[in-house]
Amino acid sequence: MADQGGSNHGIARTSRTRTEEQRQKDLERIKDYRALEDQVRHHAAKNDYSSDVFALTSKLLRLNPEYYTVWNVRRRCLISGLLSKPSPGSSPSKALPTSSPTATTTTSSADFSSSLSTETPPAPESQTTGKSGITAEDDEEQKQQTRQQDQQNDQQILQKELHFTIPLLLESPKCYWIWSYRLWILKQVIERLPVPVARNIWEEELGLTSKMLLRDQRNFHAWGYRRHVVEQLESPELEGKSLVESEFEFTTKKISQNLSNFSAWHSRSKLIPRLLDERNANDEARKAFFEEELNKIGEAINVGPDDQSLWYYHQFLMLNLVNSAEHPTIAPAFTQEERVTYLRREIESIQELLEDYDDAKLIYEALFDYTLYLCQLQGRKPNEQEEKDLKGWLGNLKKLDPMRSGRWADLERDLGLKE
Amino acid sequence: MQPNPIQASTHRTTHKTLKFSNMTQSFTSLPQELQLATSAHVKYIQSLDSRKDEYDYWLTEHLRLNGLYWGLTALHLLGHPEALPRAETIDFVLSCQHENGGFGAAPGHDAHMLSTVSAVQILAMVDAFDDLETRGRGKAQVGKYIASLQNRQTGTFAGDEWGEEDTRFLYGAFNALSLLGLLHLVDVDKAVDHIAACANFDGGYGVSPGAESHSGQIFTCVAALTIAGRKELIDVDRLGRWLSERQIAGGGLNGRPEKKEDVCYSWWVLSSLEMIGKTHWIDKAKLTSFILSSQDTDKGGISDRPGDMVDVWHTCFGIAGLSLLDYPGLEPVDEVYCMPKSTIKRVLGR
Ligand SMILES: [Zn+2]
Repeated sequence: MADQGGSNHGIARTSRTRTEEQRQKDLERIKDYRALEDQVRHHAAKNDYSSDVFALTSKLLRLNPEYYTVWNVRRRCLISGLLSKPSPGSSPSKALPTSSPTATTTTSSADFSSSLSTETPPAPESQTTGKSGITAEDDEEQKQQTRQQDQQNDQQILQKELHFTIPLLLESPKCYWIWSYRLWILKQVIERLPVPVARNIWEEELGLTSKMLLRDQRNFHAWGYRRHVVEQLESPELEGKSLVESEFEFTTKKISQNLSNFSAWHSRSKLIPRLLDERNANDEARKAFFEEELNKIGEAINVGPDDQSLWYYHQFLMLNLVNSAEHPTIAPAFTQEERVTYLRREIESIQELLEDYDDAKLIYEALFDYTLYLCQLQGRKPNEQEEKDLKGWLGNLKKLDPMRSGRWADLERDLGLKE
Repeated sequence: MQPNPIQASTHRTTHKTLKFSNMTQSFTSLPQELQLATSAHVKYIQSLDSRKDEYDYWLTEHLRLNGLYWGLTALHLLGHPEALPRAETIDFVLSCQHENGGFGAAPGHDAHMLSTVSAVQILAMVDAFDDLETRGRGKAQVGKYIASLQNRQTGTFAGDEWGEEDTRFLYGAFNALSLLGLLHLVDVDKAVDHIAACANFDGGYGVSPGAESHSGQIFTCVAALTIAGRKELIDVDRLGRWLSERQIAGGGLNGRPEKKEDVCYSWWVLSSLEMIGKTHWIDKAKLTSFILSSQDTDKGGISDRPGDMVDVWHTCFGIAGLSLLDYPGLEPVDEVYCMPKSTIKRVLGR
């Protein structure tokens, strides 16, 4: 399975011996920790999810945010008492995107949902009509008021929960369970609060991801989290509209802060097809866009020809010229002639790079690839000069990158380039 | 993903540069510190459950069943399957099972996909599916629990009733269900479609559609496609190339471009390369010495990279990597399941 908490990453090896005093201290801590744990478990086993138990989970999670079962106890505390009960009909009832699980689930949550249904008071509708002088209108007003109070109460609790996780996240930014809990809270926000309020809260979340990406710009999880937040902000549930322009702008900003940010380049490559569609870009605009991107990455490569991130993006652009059938492309209307011209032009300017950087293996690899792209595009085999070039570049690759000699040997064999 | 903000970047550390002159493919010519410290590793793994006076032991209880899988796998590959007592192992695993069929990380912990997969893998390794039937809640119930976590619209899987979806859980579901012979309980085609949607132009896979390629996610997607018998969907040349570029100067492999090398990523990249038949695209001798130099030869265990603190996670994946690299004396490892080939042969008949 993929990585989890509990593994040591980047912690220097030290001697594992403790003094007797340290050992005694550890034993004390263990005793306190286990006593707290026992208390939480004791209540949970009896399906007691009161506010006292809730307070105990705060204490325990501060000691150990990896304790997923305790996060679950906390969720159960919220839905079984602290948050308002969804009154039938009033809930926007947006089905949880996580689909089926609720049906089978664990015993405890099954117990929970049955206890929920017995606790829910009988539907007030049955008593409304004209009894004891209460008009339907008054009653409606009262219901409206209760709903507002419920929402305010829920909002307070949910925002408190978001605050609760912040210091834990700062301390353990890679702890999956905190993030997972936070997203669950944010889902409750959508389900329980009026759209404008929910939207505000989710917008703040986007701000949080920006801050995280400022601290660690390649943080895989922060990028993924951001994608998710954007998706929600664009969704009809939050009455959203497309954020593709501002997200594209965000990648531009990230790249200008540091060219070597593959995550930002990647994100850019994924946004482009939508961006151009939403701009209703015509062929001319698409061509201009393609050239602008090509210039941008070309300049970056001029400075850092050893940077894999940059070459991946360059390759993404080049694939737009050859693989038009497979992927949504930037400029589908390019003529064959235009495609060939672009490829030739790139090959030439990359060759010029060799004058300054004749030991950058990625340059040789790009020349090798793009020459083959050119042949593919024209549906032909390499000509004599190209074959000579390919052999030469392969020779350089073998010399500069012996670790991957098996790959170079395969290429040589597959392309019939062996002397 | 949901993002799986589990694990990420800060692999700070001192990276000791080790110089190997005339590194050869012949392991016997390796210097002493580059021999596998088998008995130290066995002792280290055996000691893990006797650390009840350490605070960390209690803080990591939510990983107990996973830890048992990592430790047991390492022991089996080291040729010491008996180093943990079989009966106690089975008793412990069964004590973690819930009525709904799922397993928690330890008694008193909620059921979760990750611990359920570990439970199935452990029971498979110690040949105890019969015990699951007679003393546990039975294979069928485990299968039902796992199947209930599939999102029938998108094909992907959640980790538990609350959690987010992630290709890790999809792979885990395929892994455990195929071992149980119950893969038909889920919509395999839908799941495969989901994996295909996670593919990127560089041949790799991300954690969800749109996410950048990442070695860990590539392993889960390629292994799931292998279990589903759908490897034809993989762009072998592009993926092989991306994976082979993960090897960096020290010989270890990293998880993404411009990141540091790490023993656990080395396993995911190497096993993925094995599944697509391209392990010869990296320098195996250099990778072997990288893993060996990450051992604590004295007290046992393997760390993420040389000089760091060991743990059972890196010990497992380090030894699995060495096995895949044909390090002498190790049991052959199955690259898809990360379990001994002999177990997979016994359970799946292949
Ligand atoms: Zn690692």
